[in-house]
Amino acid sequence: MKPRRCLRRPACSNWRRMTRMAQEYEVFLGCAIPSRFNNYEASMRVIADELDIELLDFDGASCCGTVVLKSIDELSWLSMSGRNIALAEKRGHDIVTPCNGCFGSLKDCDHVLHDNESERKKVNKILSEVGLEYEGEARIRHFVEVLYDLKDEIADRIVNPLDGLKIAFHPGCHLIRPSTVAGFDDPELPRKVDELLELTGARSIPWNLKLRCCGSPLLISSEEVATEILKEKMSNAIESGANCIVTNCPACHTQFDVQVLGLEDEDGNSLELPALFVTQVLGVAMGIDSSKLGFELNRVQLDPIADILGL
Amino acid sequence: MTEAWGTLKSFAGKTFETLDPEFTDRVSQLIGGQDLTACFQCAKCSAGCPVSDKVNVQIHEVMRMLVLGLPEVLDTDMIWLCTTCYTCQERCPQGIDITDILFGLKNMAFQRNKAPQGYVSSRQQLYDTGKLYQPTDWEREDLGLEEVPHLELDETKKMFEKTGLLKLEEDD
Ligand code: SF4
Ligand code: SF4
Repeated sequence: MKPRRCLRRPACSNWRRMTRMAQEYEVFLGCAIPSRFNNYEASMRVIADELDIELLDFDGASCCGTVVLKSIDELSWLSMSGRNIALAEKRGHDIVTPCNGCFGSLKDCDHVLHDNESERKKVNKILSEVGLEYEGEARIRHFVEVLYDLKDEIADRIVNPLDGLKIAFHPGCHLIRPSTVAGFDDPELPRKVDELLELTGARSIPWNLKLRCCGSPLLISSEEVATEILKEKMSNAIESGANCIVTNCPACHTQFDVQVLGLEDEDGNSLELPALFVTQVLGVAMGIDSSKLGFELNRVQLDPIADILGL
Repeated sequence: MTEAWGTLKSFAGKTFETLDPEFTDRVSQLIGGQDLTACFQCAKCSAGCPVSDKVNVQIHEVMRMLVLGLPEVLDTDMIWLCTTCYTCQERCPQGIDITDILFGLKNMAFQRNKAPQGYVSSRQQLYDTGKLYQPTDWEREDLGLEEVPHLELDETKKMFEKTGLLKLEEDD
């Protein structure tokens, strides 16, 4: 069994020093972002630019397979995710992704291939067909993890304080669970992305259903149940006094910015709340021109918070 | 309760044909299945599960059915209405990889033609295009984003030929 190097790395002072230097990653966009949320990619790219995070193209990227392919056939999923990891590894690069689904899938695959020798052998046999091998050298990170490393720089760059923005932050499941795989934040009391958001002067409000799944993985099997879960979440966010909901995942955002459209509670009150990406909130507070942050592609009307955002 | 999925709607009046220890064994071999029999039915998994109040058979009941060796578990709605949120797995006091076991059960159900249609068409989509969704080019142009990097489809297809992705069903 190989040692789990990625869990130890953050404790190593050498590693910490290295992360302060200009960083370079292959950016794994997945398929949901280029298909539905180009505003997320645009806002991620301008922030990366501002903070000297170099995002290299991920040549040859396929879908990660996500929980969909893992549900159908684990060997196919491990091969598909494993191929992506092996590609970056072959080119000597680490991976960053702004999508919880891709993050979860790639990290989970990495976890299995590290710890489970028989699965690794099977997958490497398949990867050899396409001239690749998984060795576990590429590190996989979520874009918000990279941002968290740079929080002091971000704090220095806030020029438009977002006082009055009351955020229901939704971390999403696969950013934090299972914690043995994600290894990013406390799975029961996450606070890192909230800290980032609060650098802007906004408030990340407490809400009971914050850690509850958004329901989006069920859109493929039962839209009815997915919508019930969404209604519970939105009601709770609104009751808790939020004036927007913020995510770092295109799958969750599909629920909050697409599926929610026209949704009402039993009394006929709208369940829509302006839905933003973490990168849009940070970008606007850092004084980045809003046209570069893609706000015109947000589906739920942003009127209630337009003044705060300066739109 | 939902009608959405699964033919096993209730345990009331239900008799099971056999208790099949080989089925329990098979599930124990799944990725994440190794601690399966340590379940002591505290139901903490169901307490935090977002669909407990929406399914006919809850996750702690699924776990019991596995230990009892009841292949009928593949007919429960819990298998496909699990959101994969990992809350149960994170909290299980016995350290059982509950969500990962459910993925293995989904694989087994898929092989027996017991999967929602959406999964069957996603499989074809993944084979044919290597992606679940295709880029929206006009939006990308408007925002000054470059084309998404090229994917050589032959590569993913070659791998899926090896894994038998299009021939998973047992009857095939
Ligand atoms: S939480 Fe774990 S031990 Fe408790 S019922 Fe669920 S699977 Fe069994
Ligand atoms: S992973 Fe599935 S079974 Fe476990 S709590 Fe989430 S929805 Fe329920």
